[in-house]
Amino acid sequence: MARWTWLILIAALALPCGAGSDPGWRRAAPGYRWEWPRDHYAHPEFKTEWWYFTGHLEPEDDAGIPGDTLGFQLTFFRLGMVPPGTGTPEAGLAARGGIMAHAAISDATAGDHLFSEVLWRATPLLGGFGAPGDTVIAWCRGPGGTADLWSLGFDGQTFALRASDERRGLAFDLRCRPVKPVVLHGDQGFSAKNAAGTAGSLYAALTRLEVSGSVMRNGAMIRVRGECWMDQEIFTSTLAPDQKGWDWVSLQLADGRELMVYRLFGPEGGEGFGSGTLVAPDGSTTPLADGDFRLEPRDRWRSPVTGAEYPVSWILEVPSAGLDLELRAVMPDQENVSRLSGVHYWEGAVTVRSRGPAGASVGRGYVEMAGYGEGNRPPV
Amino acid sequence: MNGPFPSLVLDRVGMVFPAASGSARTVLDGVDLSLHAGQCLALVGRSGSGKTTLLHLAAGIAVPTSGRVLIDGEDLGGMTENARTRLRRDRIGIVFQFFHLLPHLNVAENVALPGWIDGRPGGGLEKRVGELLDRVGLADRSRDPVGRLSGGEMQRVALCRALLNKPSLLLADEPTGSLDDRTGQVILDLLLEMAEAERCALLLVTHSLTVAARAERIFELHDGRLRQDPGVPS
Amino acid sequence: MIRVLGHGLLGLVREGRTLLLLTVVGVSLGVGSVVAIQTLNQGALQAFGGSVRAVSGQADLTVLGTVPTIDPALLPRVLADPAVRDAWPLCRLDAALADGSGDLIQIVGFDVFAPVRYPLTRQLDETGSAADPGDLVAAAMAVPGWCAVTPHLAASHGWAVGDTVPVSSGSRLARLVIGALVDFQRYEPLAPVNIAVMDVAQAQALLARPDAIHQIDIVLAGDEDPGTAAARLQRNLGPGVRVLTPEQRAEDAAGLLAAFRLNLTALSLISVFVGLFLVLASVQASLVRRRREFGVLRVLGMQPRQVLVLILAEAGVLGLLGVAIGIPTGFRIALWNVETVSATLTSIYVLEEISRLVLTPTVIIIGTAVGLGGALCGAVLPALDMSRRGVVELLSPLTMHEGARRTAVPLALLAVAAMTAGLLWFVAAGGGNRYAGFILGFVMLIGLPLLVPGVIRAAGAPLRPRGLGWVLSLRNLTIRLRTSSFAVAALAVTISMMVGITLLVGSFRQTLVTWLDVTIRADVYVSTESWIRAGNEAFLDAELLTALGGRPDVQAVETQRRLRVSTADGRHRVWLSGIAFSAVPGVTLASRLPLYAGDPEAVAGRLLASEAVVIGEPLARKAGLGPGDDLVLAGPDGPVSLPIAGVAFDYTSEAGTAFTTLETFGRHFRSDQPNNAALFLQPGADPDAVVAELQRTHRGRPLVFRSNATLRREVLAIFDQTFAVTRTLQTMALFIAACGLALAQLIQVRERAGELALFRALGATRAQISRMFLGEGLAMAGLGLALGLGGGAGLAALLILVINREWFGWTIRPDVPLGALALEVAVILGAALAAGIYPAWKSGLSSPAQLSRDDL
Repeated sequence: MARWTWLILIAALALPCGAGSDPGWRRAAPGYRWEWPRDHYAHPEFKTEWWYFTGHLEPEDDAGIPGDTLGFQLTFFRLGMVPPGTGTPEAGLAARGGIMAHAAISDATAGDHLFSEVLWRATPLLGGFGAPGDTVIAWCRGPGGTADLWSLGFDGQTFALRASDERRGLAFDLRCRPVKPVVLHGDQGFSAKNAAGTAGSLYAALTRLEVSGSVMRNGAMIRVRGECWMDQEIFTSTLAPDQKGWDWVSLQLADGRELMVYRLFGPEGGEGFGSGTLVAPDGSTTPLADGDFRLEPRDRWRSPVTGAEYPVSWILEVPSAGLDLELRAVMPDQENVSRLSGVHYWEGAVTVRSRGPAGASVGRGYVEMAGYGEGNRPPV
Repeated sequence: MNGPFPSLVLDRVGMVFPAASGSARTVLDGVDLSLHAGQCLALVGRSGSGKTTLLHLAAGIAVPTSGRVLIDGEDLGGMTENARTRLRRDRIGIVFQFFHLLPHLNVAENVALPGWIDGRPGGGLEKRVGELLDRVGLADRSRDPVGRLSGGEMQRVALCRALLNKPSLLLADEPTGSLDDRTGQVILDLLLEMAEAERCALLLVTHSLTVAARAERIFELHDGRLRQDPGVPS
Repeated sequence: MIRVLGHGLLGLVREGRTLLLLTVVGVSLGVGSVVAIQTLNQGALQAFGGSVRAVSGQADLTVLGTVPTIDPALLPRVLADPAVRDAWPLCRLDAALADGSGDLIQIVGFDVFAPVRYPLTRQLDETGSAADPGDLVAAAMAVPGWCAVTPHLAASHGWAVGDTVPVSSGSRLARLVIGALVDFQRYEPLAPVNIAVMDVAQAQALLARPDAIHQIDIVLAGDEDPGTAAARLQRNLGPGVRVLTPEQRAEDAAGLLAAFRLNLTALSLISVFVGLFLVLASVQASLVRRRREFGVLRVLGMQPRQVLVLILAEAGVLGLLGVAIGIPTGFRIALWNVETVSATLTSIYVLEEISRLVLTPTVIIIGTAVGLGGALCGAVLPALDMSRRGVVELLSPLTMHEGARRTAVPLALLAVAAMTAGLLWFVAAGGGNRYAGFILGFVMLIGLPLLVPGVIRAAGAPLRPRGLGWVLSLRNLTIRLRTSSFAVAALAVTISMMVGITLLVGSFRQTLVTWLDVTIRADVYVSTESWIRAGNEAFLDAELLTALGGRPDVQAVETQRRLRVSTADGRHRVWLSGIAFSAVPGVTLASRLPLYAGDPEAVAGRLLASEAVVIGEPLARKAGLGPGDDLVLAGPDGPVSLPIAGVAFDYTSEAGTAFTTLETFGRHFRSDQPNNAALFLQPGADPDAVVAELQRTHRGRPLVFRSNATLRREVLAIFDQTFAVTRTLQTMALFIAACGLALAQLIQVRERAGELALFRALGATRAQISRMFLGEGLAMAGLGLALGLGGGAGLAALLILVINREWFGWTIRPDVPLGALALEVAVILGAALAAGIYPAWKSGLSSPAQLSRDDL
């Protein structure tokens, strides 16, 4: 029996790496004219788009447990299916595509990783995307059994993140205020996904946002405060057949810098393709080419649920920036197993220490590993 | 009926049955016999001597493998099965050792049976049945079920049935064989008397020489051949 | 013992091949009729269940509306329920293929994003590799008319992926594009083949209405009992919907078909009953023939119990043989009848058609139980009888039949007593029991054969035979009561059933014709190709109605909307019609109301003036409603209470019907878009010419125009189709009974060998003997016919006056279809004659030389 929804993701969520054409959709290309805050909103002329929030939160009334932080993730995906200007006449449940969202809380103190997801057709009854100027960028119904909506709100200054899943005991309501300007990855926001530069995505990020709000912990909402990272990526092209997955790393360093690197890899873990951006405390950026950094996995953890084996600590060197870092997952099990899409990936909070005898903490970050395990092509 | 021809003629009659081994068993071999109306002839012989076969040939039930059988001058050999059956119905009466009365019919109905088969209309038939039963002394029992009759009475009914169609030939197969001596004697008297009265030829098949002695002529069947007057003692 | 049994069976085969054959045929036909009917019954339910499982197989609960559509806003409310894990909307409707075939396909519009996993595959392309499956979802949403059909449907219409298929829903036409294949049968073997899956929004936009959703399927999180969750959802969602488990949906269908199924089952049981007599007769015959064998076995020391076991074992083997033949035969018969039964299901019960029949283990078990059980039941009486007899009795002839003669009168008295008691019980206590009619019928069917020996005796005893004519034949029957009784009894039961049903069908048909005269008054009827089943969702568009009304030859247009709703208490299904009555000169509304209760003028007045309904007789009977009561229906916004103005005769649905004005209907049930229209033509207009012209004018549109006469003919054709399967059962029963006659006579040929030889010795020709036997066969047929006609009349009375009223709720005016009955009598006599030919020929073969000392 076909895993129906899994196919959706293959079709829609594959990274923008393939060279195939998709008639009716605009393709991501260099020279895109960014305009803020307009470009925070959805781009229906492109096939696929996502808003990716990852961050670290500290309870405000912390009893003083050192390192008691909560990692969180909230991602909204727009899955375009019907190109603009085509399709059937309007109907009650008419939709141009789907909306998917993944939310997770990693509570290293308690050893809990909570994951929840939704997938709806983007129809006014179930979910959708705001137009520039609206108070919501994306919204949708919560998962079955949950009355509340999930949403990504925006008032021109601050992003409002809401997600809850009553059955899993997951909920958060966070306000995120950017403290640094928008970063455009790659070439003015066009991030190539192969060496030839024939495929790629429009890729912008807010690398540091101040977060405040509340998170559910042990069934009760607690006040939290912290920092997060927001990625926004827009594309049309699909994953190339020789690309199996990727590792993606975002670090917020204590010295005010931020670092993003990713590496795509093929089925045999061969050459692959990597890229990155180093953001200075003042917001100025330095693009990193494939050879400018080295990401080396160390310890590994095998998921008891999916059997996939993920690295849980890494060495990351960026010699040009003077960085020689050891990344370590705050807890091994930060795997997101998506029932609705049938795929699984690892998305987790990591600590960042400088290598060497002192090993001082120099920041924190989030790592995403997709395409691990047998027969698992990544969603993101 | 009693024309110029003998009632029954057997002319060099032979009967050969195929046997299981593939060979043949000769039951009758060149039997000659002639029987006229009013005559009584007794046929004796041991079991298996061919008496029943001879009777079946005389009744037109079977046809000989050689020779001719003639009833009232008519050769059965050229007849169809149906013609022989009709001939049997019209010219031949049969009295069996075991009476063979139909238990679900009463006395009169049993006697009337050949008439029914003949398809004769009711009035004359009833009269004839009544007449015959009167002559054998069963007139008052004509409505009785045959099951209530004694052996002797049953044979009287059977005798009436055999004579119903005024046959020219009466075949009696051990007519006293199932009866005690006294009753047998009475039945035999009645048989001879009635045959005489009806002017029919009587072929009496029996193994009892005492019975046979009542006939005008006696033949013995032995090894398929017929011998006259075997010279009976006592 | 085993060796004795084996020897006995071999003996049976050696001695009486025909006898054996007839017995096995009888058993197998009995088994066959049960298997056929059960297979069809199960097929009917499985078709519905298969469709439910194919579409909603992964759902724990289903939300359905009280009217066909439900408010889409309920979906978020369903999703918010704590027990719900997933929920998705479905838009379901029936579309007609616009290729002239008029075939219907079930459109399942589902949300392609829902976590429901349909076995959707794309056809392999020429290189043998599948196209990128990911495109399917996008295509389903983006390509207008994209749908996935079952491989079977595609193959039967010669469709390939990429083909365009025009379809219609109501008066709308749409073009579907075959985008993929969905092999429901692979995981749900009983899934209907005529399913087409498409995106819910496409189904809404192209075929249904933009806001139409018909169903919400729910998967529960698994930590709560479905019943509890269903109850809470029902409370929260309100009275406009019903929240059902799959079992409840299946029960709904089962309840809908209960009367239909029960009747077929009862009919098939009559075949078994008749077959039972056959076993009885043949076992009896073989025992009579072998009495001496048993006598010898007893002399040699066999116990009576061993004799019993021996006989039963033989019967068991015969029964198993019958089962082995009967089950495949029955299944084959079911296959032959599946189309008519399926048509009945769709046209009368508006259920799925049976796309596939499966011989289930349950049916095999039932068939085996019936065959084996029947054989053993049939054998047990003669076996007991034989095992109890003394050695002397066994070795002496003729006593066997005397027993039957002695018991004839007590049996008849017993039968009369039982039937009287049954009747008294029915009158006194039957009123409260739905099954009372069937019980009484069963008592009558048991009583009838018990009467037979007495009747045969009574018929034969007073007559004195005067020759080889029919009187002697009759006498012979009374003498051989045992064999003749069985055959006559089997025949009498069969004829009762045949005649009873013929009377019922004839009366029903006549009643229907009379009713159609009153109700079918318009000249031309307009509906759509997809209406037949879809009913409630196939609409006529407004422009068409305007165009029709504007024709100069049309005097008036009446429109009708039909909807299946249920009463507010959920206990009764009601076909509710809203009719926009027109004032047609000379055809007053009052004259068109076939009222059962109420004054036509007053009822018509109330109907037009106020919010009143007229309900059909079945509903009135089943729900105990009448004029003055309120009909309380489950409406989309809660209970709708309508005062009942009158009760009308109605034969369109046993489920219950009601009608009101279209205006009232629209007020309570949201939609007043009509499904069909009736045209009253100007005086002098020729309906056939108008129909022909309308067909010409609207060529290419999915519209169906029928003249009054055509509609009437089609209604009667559906009626006849509904009873077609009973014809099969009647034929099978007659066949069994004819086997019984032949069997009885063959037995007689054997038993009466001595008597026949005597007849031959006394000068009876073969032809005479054969004629006597034919005469006896006809005498048996005549007796069976006489008893059967009586029994049939009783059965018909029961069917018409009791069972139909109780189970279907119809008033049927008794009517004697003389022509049909005469034909039936001729067929029965013909069958009897045919059955007698072989035994008669066989009887003629007896030779006078066979006369032996034991016979007679």
